[in-house]
Amino acid sequence: MYAISAKNLTKSYNGSTNALSDLNIDIEEGTIFGFLGPNGAGKTTTVKLFTGLLKPTKGECSVLGMTPQENPCAVHSLCGVMTETARMYIQLTGIQNLEFFAQACGIKKEEGTKRAQELLKKLDLWDARDKKLSDYSTGMTQRLSLARALINRPKILFLDEPTSGLDPESAQSVNKMISSLAKNTGATVFICTHQLRYAQDICSSYGIIEHGTVIAQGSFATLCENIGCKIKAEFRLPEGDKLEYFNKNSDWWQTELQSEDEMPKLLRSIINSGHEVYEARLVKPNLEDVYFEYTKQKKVSL
Amino acid sequence: MKLITYEERAVINKDFGEIWNTKMARNTIIILPVIMAVFLPAMYLVMIYFLPSEKMNGVEEMLKLIPNELSYLSIQQSMFYIMSDMVCPMFFLMIPLMASSVSAACSFVGEKERGTIQTLILTPLSLKSIFKAKVIGCTILSVIATAISFAAFTIVISIGDIILNMPFFLNWNWAVLVLVLAPAITIFGVVFMVLVSGRSKSYIESFQAAGYIVLPVIFLFIGQFTGLFQLNAVIFLLISLGLVIIDFVLWILAARSFTPEKLLK
Repeated sequence: MYAISAKNLTKSYNGSTNALSDLNIDIEEGTIFGFLGPNGAGKTTTVKLFTGLLKPTKGECSVLGMTPQENPCAVHSLCGVMTETARMYIQLTGIQNLEFFAQACGIKKEEGTKRAQELLKKLDLWDARDKKLSDYSTGMTQRLSLARALINRPKILFLDEPTSGLDPESAQSVNKMISSLAKNTGATVFICTHQLRYAQDICSSYGIIEHGTVIAQGSFATLCENIGCKIKAEFRLPEGDKLEYFNKNSDWWQTELQSEDEMPKLLRSIINSGHEVYEARLVKPNLEDVYFEYTKQKKVSL
Repeated sequence: MKLITYEERAVINKDFGEIWNTKMARNTIIILPVIMAVFLPAMYLVMIYFLPSEKMNGVEEMLKLIPNELSYLSIQQSMFYIMSDMVCPMFFLMIPLMASSVSAACSFVGEKERGTIQTLILTPLSLKSIFKAKVIGCTILSVIATAISFAAFTIVISIGDIILNMPFFLNWNWAVLVLVLAPAITIFGVVFMVLVSGRSKSYIESFQAAGYIVLPVIFLFIGQFTGLFQLNAVIFLLISLGLVIIDFVLWILAARSFTPEKLLK
């Protein structure tokens, strides 16, 4: 059984254009899945379908084997959901908000208070626990929303832009928390983001979505392989010197490698052929390179 | 099976706090009953006690409205009877109607307006439970406001009865009004507001819509002064029965419109 699964999942709000088209996805339990795409690509619609807030126009989806539209309560009891539009009560304090949502999840009062305190400490909100939410900064509100999503110890966590509006330190601590949650509890995490740098730090698998259509999915290695993003060897030589069949990129001469194992041999051959090498380095593609390569190719194919 | 579950109780308590913290709702729930159940009857009592009846305009026409069996009442007593038995019921019914509709506006539309309804839907609570908890919460609040108002009203009118040496005001009309019509009106205020909430963008906008449901009540009581009819316990019972049927239909329609797609529009 997959933790999250979709078959031909399609959603149209107006009947003429699809916000999401034929999404086919199977996510194993314990995966941290990064759903990448620009604003308006269909990421939030996908989360809303998986959490039963929307009914699909076509196709089906399941969460831990249950259909969210048929059994939303059971799905919600196993999931934690954080979206930009799911807000909390501004007239309540941080801890009161968490205590309320714990009770709404059926957690007894004492246990809910204990869990709320634990999360407030973990997310660095302890000192602001008795402040009203209206006095929270964007970053603090975002962290409190994450705490709310974690209150019922979810098996699956849907996070829509969890680090947007956060300063780098907070973003890093949120990412660490998501990673440790997945590692320690085996929870599956579905993260929608356009912050590729953070996604690469924590995700084990990815999907790239554009205009409602998934254009690529798989592990980072698979994505690189499918699009042809390779490791590059770069060398800095004295001015005026040049390497045949290498591309010039600023001060560096570069060529693609199949694997990093080829580097020592290549470096030796350059030195043996009489070149003086000031610097040599391996440049591995990052998620940003891969993402833009896919979106570029999509545009070309269109 | 429990009537209200632990989770639903949490929603009700949260709603109480939310309604109480909304200035407009709090003011309506406190100030309106004070005006309708205490201030206006008290002012009227003071007026008819101190103002000579011959200086009042239209007294003769008003005395025509007094039932024959109460023809023994003096002018002052008759004027107070008209107030306590024909005008005050209208003031009094405003309390459950406005208290319930303002609570429902705050609870349903306010939650939608502030974007918290989505978070609530994402909890393991079913939509049916959320709907039920919210309706019960608004109803309880309205019933409490109505009960306290009636107690205060009883004190004011009883003082009037003692001062003017009149029989105790409580009769079958009031019994039906307080025990049957007021609860039916309370439910009506809540479910009407839930239906309106689907079309309202802000709770102020939906609260304005509550103004429309006050009009039939005003027309009904003002109509008595035309002399065409006089409201009594039987008419109140019939109106209550009609309202219960309307409440039932509106409840079904409101519950049906309470879906994630409609709420998150």
